[in-house]
Amino acid sequence: MIRNTVFTIFLALGCGLAAPALAHKVLASAYPSGTVIEGQIGFSNGDMAKDAKVEVQGPDGAPLGETVTDEQGSFTFTPSQPVAHVFKADLGAGHLAQFTLPAEDVAQVLALQGDPGAKPSAPPPGGVALTGGAMPSETPGPASGAMTLSRADELAIAKLVRDEIRPLTREIAAYKEHNGLQTILGGIGYIVGLFGIGFYVAARRRMGG
Amino acid sequence: MHIVDGALSAPVLIGGAVLSAGGITLGLKRLTLETIPAAGILSAAFFVASLVHVPIGPSSVHLILNGLAGLVLGWAAFPALAVALLLQAVFFGFGGLTVLGVNTLDIALPAVLAGAIFRPLIARASGVTVMFWGGLGGAFAIAATTLCVALALGLSGDAFWPAAKLVFVAHIPIMMIEGVLSAAAIALIVQVRPDLFSTLRGEPA
Repeated sequence: MIRNTVFTIFLALGCGLAAPALAHKVLASAYPSGTVIEGQIGFSNGDMAKDAKVEVQGPDGAPLGETVTDEQGSFTFTPSQPVAHVFKADLGAGHLAQFTLPAEDVAQVLALQGDPGAKPSAPPPGGVALTGGAMPSETPGPASGAMTLSRADELAIAKLVRDEIRPLTREIAAYKEHNGLQTILGGIGYIVGLFGIGFYVAARRRMGG
Repeated sequence: MHIVDGALSAPVLIGGAVLSAGGITLGLKRLTLETIPAAGILSAAFFVASLVHVPIGPSSVHLILNGLAGLVLGWAAFPALAVALLLQAVFFGFGGLTVLGVNTLDIALPAVLAGAIFRPLIARASGVTVMFWGGLGGAFAIAATTLCVALALGLSGDAFWPAAKLVFVAHIPIMMIEGVLSAAAIALIVQVRPDLFSTLRGEPA
Protein backbone atom coordinates (compact mmCIF):
# COMPACT_ATOMS: atom_id res chain seq x y z
CA MET A 1 0.00 0.00 0.00
CA ILE A 2 2.70 2.44 1.04
CA ARG A 3 4.66 1.83 -2.13
CA ASN A 4 1.81 2.37 -4.50
CA THR A 5 0.68 5.33 -2.43
CA VAL A 6 4.09 6.90 -2.80
CA PHE A 7 4.09 6.09 -6.49
CA THR A 8 0.73 7.75 -7.00
CA ILE A 9 1.77 10.83 -5.07
CA PHE A 10 4.88 11.17 -7.18
CA LEU A 11 2.84 10.67 -10.31
CA ALA A 12 0.41 13.34 -9.16
CA LEU A 13 3.12 15.79 -8.18
CA GLY A 14 5.04 15.11 -11.37
CA CYS A 15 1.97 15.90 -13.40
CA GLY A 16 1.27 18.99 -11.36
CA LEU A 17 4.75 20.42 -11.52
CA ALA A 18 5.19 19.71 -15.20
CA ALA A 19 2.77 22.39 -16.26
CA PRO A 20 1.17 24.13 -13.32
CA ALA A 21 0.65 27.38 -15.18
CA LEU A 22 -1.52 26.03 -17.96
CA ALA A 23 -5.21 26.31 -17.48
CA HIS A 24 -8.11 25.45 -19.60
CA LYS A 25 -10.55 28.24 -19.35
CA VAL A 26 -11.99 30.24 -22.18
CA LEU A 27 -11.62 33.98 -21.83
CA ALA A 28 -13.83 36.39 -23.65
CA SER A 29 -14.21 40.13 -23.42
CA ALA A 30 -15.82 42.85 -25.46
CA TYR A 31 -15.72 46.62 -25.05
CA PRO A 32 -16.84 49.67 -26.96
CA SER A 33 -14.13 50.87 -29.32
CA GLY A 34 -15.23 54.03 -31.05
CA THR A 35 -17.96 53.23 -33.53
CA VAL A 36 -17.59 49.48 -33.22
CA ILE A 37 -17.54 46.87 -30.50
CA GLU A 38 -14.20 45.19 -30.16
CA GLY A 39 -13.60 41.93 -28.38
CA GLN A 40 -11.15 39.16 -27.79
CA ILE A 41 -11.51 35.45 -27.34
CA GLY A 42 -8.81 33.12 -26.21
CA PHE A 43 -7.74 30.44 -23.81
CA SER A 44 -6.31 31.26 -20.46
CA ASN A 45 -2.97 29.70 -21.39
CA GLY A 46 -2.37 32.60 -23.78
CA ASP A 47 -3.55 30.92 -26.97
CA MET A 48 -6.01 33.07 -28.82
CA ALA A 49 -8.97 31.65 -30.67
CA LYS A 50 -8.13 32.12 -34.35
CA ASP A 51 -10.76 32.25 -37.06
CA ALA A 52 -13.53 31.45 -34.63
CA LYS A 53 -17.07 32.32 -35.57
CA VAL A 54 -18.67 34.69 -33.09
CA GLU A 55 -22.45 34.81 -32.94
CA VAL A 56 -24.02 37.99 -31.71
CA GLN A 57 -27.39 37.80 -30.04
CA GLY A 58 -29.76 40.14 -28.29
CA PRO A 59 -30.71 39.63 -24.64
CA ASP A 60 -33.72 37.58 -25.77
CA GLY A 61 -31.56 35.29 -27.91
CA ALA A 62 -32.55 36.88 -31.20
CA PRO A 63 -29.61 36.82 -33.62
CA LEU A 64 -28.13 40.25 -34.39
CA GLY A 65 -25.37 39.06 -36.69
CA GLU A 66 -22.04 37.34 -36.60
CA THR A 67 -18.37 38.04 -37.02
CA VAL A 68 -15.08 36.12 -37.15
CA THR A 69 -11.95 36.48 -35.03
CA ASP A 70 -8.62 37.30 -36.65
CA GLU A 71 -5.15 35.86 -36.04
CA GLN A 72 -4.94 37.50 -32.61
CA GLY A 73 -8.35 36.29 -31.51
CA SER A 74 -9.79 39.79 -31.83
CA PHE A 75 -13.05 40.63 -33.49
CA THR A 76 -15.04 43.74 -34.21
CA PHE A 77 -18.75 44.12 -34.56
CA THR A 78 -20.78 47.12 -35.66
CA PRO A 79 -23.95 47.27 -33.60
CA SER A 80 -27.19 48.62 -35.00
CA GLN A 81 -29.58 48.15 -32.10
CA PRO A 82 -29.33 49.73 -28.64
CA VAL A 83 -29.78 46.50 -26.70
CA ALA A 84 -27.40 44.35 -24.68
CA HIS A 85 -25.23 42.29 -27.00
CA VAL A 86 -24.37 38.71 -26.13
CA PHE A 87 -21.25 37.43 -27.90
CA LYS A 88 -20.97 33.68 -28.18
CA ALA A 89 -18.25 31.61 -29.74
CA ASP A 90 -18.31 27.83 -29.78
CA LEU A 91 -14.71 26.69 -29.73
CA GLY A 92 -15.67 23.06 -29.84
CA ALA A 93 -15.51 20.31 -27.26
CA GLY A 94 -17.75 22.17 -24.87
CA HIS A 95 -15.58 25.27 -24.86
CA LEU A 96 -18.09 28.03 -25.11
CA ALA A 97 -16.96 31.61 -24.87
CA GLN A 98 -19.67 34.02 -23.87
CA PHE A 99 -19.65 37.66 -23.01
CA THR A 100 -22.43 40.19 -22.59
CA LEU A 101 -21.95 43.85 -23.34
CA PRO A 102 -24.53 45.94 -21.45
CA ALA A 103 -27.02 48.09 -23.35
CA GLU A 104 -25.44 51.33 -22.03
CA ASP A 105 -22.11 50.49 -23.66
CA VAL A 106 -23.84 49.64 -26.93
CA ALA A 107 -25.74 52.93 -26.76
CA GLN A 108 -22.43 54.72 -26.34
CA VAL A 109 -21.15 53.09 -29.53
CA LEU A 110 -24.34 53.93 -31.38
CA ALA A 111 -24.14 57.54 -30.22
CA LEU A 112 -20.66 57.78 -31.74
CA GLN A 113 -21.92 56.28 -34.99
CA GLY A 114 -24.32 59.20 -35.30
CA ASP A 115 -21.46 61.60 -34.61
CA PRO A 116 -19.96 62.77 -37.92
CA GLY A 117 -16.60 63.42 -36.28
CA ALA A 118 -16.38 59.83 -35.24
CA LYS A 119 -16.73 58.18 -38.62
CA PRO A 120 -13.84 55.78 -39.13
CA SER A 121 -12.61 57.84 -42.08
CA ALA A 122 -12.62 61.09 -40.11
CA PRO A 123 -9.56 60.72 -37.89
CA PRO A 124 -6.41 61.14 -39.98
CA PRO A 125 -4.28 58.03 -40.28
CA GLY A 126 -1.58 59.60 -38.14
CA GLY A 127 -4.00 59.68 -35.26
CA VAL A 128 -3.16 62.74 -33.15
CA ALA A 129 -2.57 65.22 -35.94
CA LEU A 130 -4.44 68.38 -35.09
CA THR A 131 -7.55 68.79 -37.10
CA GLY A 132 -8.56 72.25 -35.95
CA GLY A 133 -11.66 73.78 -37.39
CA ALA A 134 -11.54 71.88 -40.63
CA MET A 135 -13.50 69.10 -38.98
CA PRO A 136 -17.28 69.29 -38.86
CA SER A 137 -17.17 68.87 -35.12
CA GLU A 138 -18.79 70.46 -32.11
CA THR A 139 -15.71 72.58 -31.50
CA PRO A 140 -16.81 76.14 -32.15
CA GLY A 141 -14.43 77.57 -34.73
CA PRO A 142 -10.71 76.85 -35.06
CA ALA A 143 -8.83 75.44 -32.11
CA SER A 144 -8.53 78.42 -29.82
CA GLY A 145 -5.81 77.02 -27.59
CA ALA A 146 -3.50 74.13 -26.93
CA MET A 147 -5.97 72.64 -24.45
CA THR A 148 -8.89 72.48 -26.88
CA LEU A 149 -9.27 69.20 -28.61
CA SER A 150 -11.67 68.44 -31.36
CA ARG A 151 -14.01 65.50 -31.10
CA ALA A 152 -11.96 63.63 -33.67
CA ASP A 153 -8.79 64.16 -31.64
CA GLU A 154 -10.45 62.82 -28.54
CA LEU A 155 -11.51 59.75 -30.42
CA ALA A 156 -8.08 59.33 -31.96
CA ILE A 157 -6.46 59.58 -28.52
CA ALA A 158 -9.00 57.16 -27.07
CA LYS A 159 -8.13 54.75 -29.86
CA LEU A 160 -4.39 55.09 -29.22
CA VAL A 161 -4.86 54.50 -25.51
CA ARG A 162 -6.94 51.43 -26.24
CA ASP A 163 -4.27 50.09 -28.55
CA GLU A 164 -1.62 50.71 -25.91
CA ILE A 165 -3.43 49.00 -23.07
CA ARG A 166 -4.63 46.04 -25.09
CA PRO A 167 -1.56 43.91 -24.33
CA LEU A 168 -1.92 44.84 -20.68
CA THR A 169 -5.54 43.71 -20.47
CA ARG A 170 -4.49 40.47 -22.10
CA GLU A 171 -1.68 40.01 -19.60
CA ILE A 172 -3.97 40.73 -16.67
CA ALA A 173 -6.55 38.27 -17.95
CA ALA A 174 -3.86 35.60 -18.32
CA TYR A 175 -2.45 36.42 -14.89
CA LYS A 176 -5.85 36.10 -13.24
CA GLU A 177 -6.08 32.58 -14.62
CA HIS A 178 -2.61 31.66 -13.52
CA ASN A 179 -2.75 28.62 -11.27
CA GLY A 180 0.02 29.01 -8.78
CA LEU A 181 1.53 26.11 -6.94
CA GLN A 182 -0.27 27.33 -3.82
CA THR A 183 -3.63 26.88 -5.52
CA ILE A 184 -2.76 23.36 -6.57
CA LEU A 185 -1.38 22.38 -3.18
CA GLY A 186 -4.40 24.01 -1.54
CA GLY A 187 -6.72 21.89 -3.66
CA ILE A 188 -4.81 18.73 -2.77
CA GLY A 189 -5.03 19.79 0.87
CA TYR A 190 -8.79 20.07 0.61
CA ILE A 191 -8.99 16.60 -0.93
CA VAL A 192 -6.82 15.09 1.79
CA GLY A 193 -8.90 16.82 4.44
CA LEU A 194 -12.22 15.73 2.94
CA PHE A 195 -11.17 12.13 2.63
CA GLY A 196 -9.72 12.34 6.14
CA ILE A 197 -13.15 13.32 7.41
CA GLY A 198 -14.65 10.45 5.40
CA PHE A 199 -12.11 8.12 6.95
CA TYR A 200 -13.01 9.40 10.41
CA VAL A 201 -16.73 8.89 9.82
CA ALA A 202 -16.18 5.41 8.41
CA ALA A 203 -13.94 4.49 11.32
CA ARG A 204 -16.47 5.79 13.88
CA ARG A 205 -19.18 3.78 12.21
CA ARG A 206 -17.08 0.64 12.29
CA MET A 207 -16.22 1.17 15.97
CA GLY A 208 -19.86 1.75 16.79
CA GLY A 209 -21.02 -1.26 14.83
CA MET B 1 -13.19 17.90 -21.41
CA HIS B 2 -14.94 20.05 -18.86
CA ILE B 3 -18.10 21.47 -20.34
CA VAL B 4 -18.45 25.12 -19.30
CA ASP B 5 -21.41 26.98 -17.87
CA GLY B 6 -23.95 27.98 -20.46
CA ALA B 7 -23.14 25.32 -23.06
CA LEU B 8 -25.92 22.96 -22.03
CA SER B 9 -29.68 23.20 -21.80
CA ALA B 10 -31.49 23.07 -18.46
CA PRO B 11 -32.97 19.55 -18.81
CA VAL B 12 -29.52 18.13 -19.53
CA LEU B 13 -28.06 19.96 -16.52
CA ILE B 14 -30.79 18.71 -14.21
CA GLY B 15 -30.66 15.17 -15.57
CA GLY B 16 -26.88 15.10 -15.16
CA ALA B 17 -27.09 16.41 -11.61
CA VAL B 18 -29.70 13.84 -10.59
CA LEU B 19 -27.83 10.91 -12.13
CA SER B 20 -24.55 12.09 -10.59
CA ALA B 21 -26.17 12.38 -7.17
CA GLY B 22 -27.33 8.79 -7.56
CA GLY B 23 -23.85 7.68 -8.59
CA ILE B 24 -22.26 9.53 -5.67
CA THR B 25 -24.70 7.95 -3.20
CA LEU B 26 -23.96 4.49 -4.60
CA GLY B 27 -20.24 5.22 -4.51
CA LEU B 28 -20.29 6.47 -0.92
CA LYS B 29 -21.96 3.21 0.13
CA ARG B 30 -19.15 1.24 -1.50
CA LEU B 31 -16.50 3.42 0.10
CA THR B 32 -15.07 1.28 2.87
CA LEU B 33 -12.39 2.08 5.39
CA GLU B 34 -9.90 0.26 3.14
CA THR B 35 -10.72 2.13 -0.05
CA ILE B 36 -10.98 5.68 1.34
CA PRO B 37 -7.22 6.38 1.19
CA ALA B 38 -7.04 5.07 -2.37
CA ALA B 39 -10.06 7.19 -3.31
CA GLY B 40 -8.42 10.28 -1.81
CA ILE B 41 -5.18 9.73 -3.65
CA LEU B 42 -6.88 9.07 -6.99
CA SER B 43 -9.04 12.13 -6.41
CA ALA B 44 -5.90 14.22 -5.87
CA ALA B 45 -4.24 12.66 -8.92
CA PHE B 46 -7.27 13.50 -11.04
CA PHE B 47 -7.30 17.03 -9.61
CA VAL B 48 -3.77 17.81 -10.79
CA ALA B 49 -3.86 15.68 -13.94
CA SER B 50 -6.18 18.21 -15.56
CA LEU B 51 -3.37 20.73 -15.50
CA VAL B 52 -1.27 18.67 -17.90
CA HIS B 53 -2.17 19.94 -21.32
CA VAL B 54 -1.67 18.67 -24.81
CA PRO B 55 -2.37 21.46 -27.32
CA ILE B 56 -4.48 20.28 -30.24
CA GLY B 57 -5.96 22.50 -32.91
CA PRO B 58 -7.88 25.46 -31.59
CA SER B 59 -8.36 23.80 -28.25
CA SER B 60 -6.25 21.80 -25.86
CA VAL B 61 -6.91 18.59 -24.04
CA HIS B 62 -5.59 17.42 -20.73
CA LEU B 63 -4.99 14.21 -18.86
CA ILE B 64 -8.04 12.85 -17.09
CA LEU B 65 -7.00 9.63 -15.36
CA ASN B 66 -10.61 8.59 -14.83
CA GLY B 67 -9.92 5.11 -16.19
CA LEU B 68 -7.36 4.46 -13.47
CA ALA B 69 -9.78 5.73 -10.81
CA GLY B 70 -12.53 3.45 -12.13
CA LEU B 71 -10.26 0.41 -12.34
CA VAL B 72 -9.15 0.82 -8.74
CA LEU B 73 -12.32 2.16 -7.15
CA GLY B 74 -15.33 0.98 -9.13
CA TRP B 75 -18.41 2.91 -8.03
CA ALA B 76 -16.37 4.73 -5.40
CA ALA B 77 -14.84 6.65 -8.32
CA PHE B 78 -18.02 8.78 -8.37
CA PRO B 79 -17.48 10.62 -5.07
CA ALA B 80 -13.70 10.73 -5.63
CA LEU B 81 -14.03 12.38 -9.04
CA ALA B 82 -16.93 14.61 -7.97
CA VAL B 83 -14.85 16.12 -5.16
CA ALA B 84 -11.93 16.79 -7.52
CA LEU B 85 -14.25 18.30 -10.15
CA LEU B 86 -15.83 20.58 -7.56
CA LEU B 87 -12.42 21.83 -6.46
CA GLN B 88 -11.30 22.30 -10.06
CA ALA B 89 -14.40 24.38 -10.75
CA VAL B 90 -13.82 26.53 -7.67
CA PHE B 91 -10.03 26.87 -7.88
CA PHE B 92 -9.28 26.83 -11.58
CA GLY B 93 -12.60 27.75 -13.12
CA PHE B 94 -12.66 24.48 -15.10
CA GLY B 95 -16.22 23.77 -16.06
CA GLY B 96 -18.54 25.46 -13.62
CA LEU B 97 -20.86 24.84 -10.73
CA THR B 98 -24.06 24.44 -12.73
CA VAL B 99 -22.49 21.86 -15.03
CA LEU B 100 -20.84 19.99 -12.17
CA GLY B 101 -23.44 17.22 -12.32
CA VAL B 102 -23.03 16.65 -16.04
CA ASN B 103 -19.24 16.81 -15.85
CA THR B 104 -19.21 14.33 -12.97
CA LEU B 105 -21.43 11.97 -14.92
CA ASP B 106 -19.38 12.38 -18.12
CA ILE B 107 -16.16 11.51 -16.34
CA ALA B 108 -17.21 9.15 -13.54
CA LEU B 109 -19.66 6.94 -15.43
CA PRO B 110 -17.04 5.83 -18.00
CA ALA B 111 -14.69 5.25 -15.05
CA VAL B 112 -17.24 2.94 -13.41
CA LEU B 113 -17.84 1.19 -16.75
CA ALA B 114 -14.11 0.69 -17.27
CA GLY B 115 -13.91 -0.77 -13.78
CA ALA B 116 -16.87 -3.08 -14.37
CA ILE B 117 -15.52 -4.37 -17.67
CA PHE B 118 -11.79 -4.56 -17.08
CA ARG B 119 -11.42 -5.25 -13.36
CA PRO B 120 -12.51 -8.89 -13.62
CA LEU B 121 -10.17 -9.31 -16.59
CA ILE B 122 -7.27 -7.79 -14.65
CA ALA B 123 -8.02 -9.97 -11.63
CA ARG B 124 -7.81 -13.08 -13.78
CA ALA B 125 -4.83 -12.04 -15.89
CA SER B 126 -1.15 -12.17 -15.07
CA GLY B 127 2.07 -10.65 -16.32
CA VAL B 128 1.86 -8.64 -19.51
CA THR B 129 -1.86 -9.29 -19.90
CA VAL B 130 -2.47 -7.22 -16.75
CA MET B 131 -0.79 -4.26 -18.40
CA PHE B 132 -2.76 -4.86 -21.58
CA TRP B 133 -6.14 -4.83 -19.85
CA GLY B 134 -5.13 -1.93 -17.60
CA GLY B 135 -4.05 0.13 -20.59
CA LEU B 136 -7.16 -0.77 -22.52
CA GLY B 137 -9.27 0.19 -19.51
CA GLY B 138 -7.57 3.60 -19.29
CA ALA B 139 -8.05 4.27 -23.00
CA PHE B 140 -11.62 2.98 -22.94
CA ALA B 141 -12.61 5.39 -20.17
CA ILE B 142 -11.38 8.38 -22.20
CA ALA B 143 -13.16 7.19 -25.34
CA ALA B 144 -16.40 6.71 -23.41
CA THR B 145 -15.98 10.11 -21.78
CA THR B 146 -15.66 11.83 -25.16
CA LEU B 147 -18.88 10.13 -26.26
CA CYS B 148 -20.64 11.23 -23.07
CA VAL B 149 -19.48 14.83 -23.59
CA ALA B 150 -20.67 14.73 -27.19
CA LEU B 151 -23.97 13.25 -26.06
CA ALA B 152 -24.44 15.99 -23.46
CA LEU B 153 -23.71 18.62 -26.12
CA GLY B 154 -25.90 16.77 -28.60
CA LEU B 155 -28.87 16.67 -26.21
CA SER B 156 -28.49 20.42 -25.78
CA GLY B 157 -28.89 21.13 -29.44
CA ASP B 158 -25.44 20.73 -30.99
CA ALA B 159 -25.25 18.25 -33.83
CA PHE B 160 -24.14 15.01 -32.19
CA TRP B 161 -21.84 13.43 -34.77
CA PRO B 162 -19.63 16.42 -35.62
CA ALA B 163 -19.22 17.18 -31.92
CA ALA B 164 -18.53 13.55 -31.10
CA LYS B 165 -15.98 13.24 -33.89
CA LEU B 166 -14.23 16.47 -32.89
CA VAL B 167 -13.96 15.56 -29.21
CA PHE B 168 -13.03 11.96 -29.94
CA VAL B 169 -10.31 12.77 -32.44
CA ALA B 170 -8.86 15.47 -30.18
CA HIS B 171 -8.52 12.95 -27.39
CA ILE B 172 -6.80 10.16 -29.31
CA PRO B 173 -3.35 11.24 -28.02
CA ILE B 174 -4.75 11.38 -24.49
CA MET B 175 -6.15 7.87 -24.90
CA MET B 176 -2.70 6.62 -25.82
CA ILE B 177 -0.94 8.49 -23.01
CA GLU B 178 -3.47 7.38 -20.43
CA GLY B 179 -3.42 3.84 -21.75
CA VAL B 180 0.31 3.68 -21.07
CA LEU B 181 -0.04 5.43 -17.69
CA SER B 182 -2.89 3.16 -16.58
CA ALA B 183 -1.04 0.07 -17.77
CA ALA B 184 2.03 1.03 -15.74
CA ALA B 185 0.03 2.00 -12.67
CA ILE B 186 -2.14 -1.13 -12.74
CA ALA B 187 0.88 -3.37 -13.24
CA LEU B 188 2.55 -1.73 -10.26
CA ILE B 189 -0.56 -2.03 -8.08
CA VAL B 190 -1.03 -5.68 -9.00
CA GLN B 191 2.59 -6.30 -8.10
CA VAL B 192 2.67 -4.49 -4.75
CA ARG B 193 -0.93 -5.05 -3.70
CA PRO B 194 -2.48 -7.94 -5.61
CA ASP B 195 -5.28 -8.16 -3.02
CA LEU B 196 -6.71 -4.85 -4.26
CA PHE B 197 -8.01 -6.68 -7.31
CA SER B 198 -8.34 -10.24 -6.08
CA THR B 199 -10.31 -9.47 -2.91
CA LEU B 200 -12.73 -7.33 -4.82
CA ARG B 201 -13.17 -9.87 -7.56
CA GLY B 202 -16.58 -11.10 -6.44
CA GLU B 203 -17.99 -7.64 -5.94
CA PRO B 204 -19.85 -6.17 -8.89
CA ALA B 205 -17.94 -3.01 -9.62
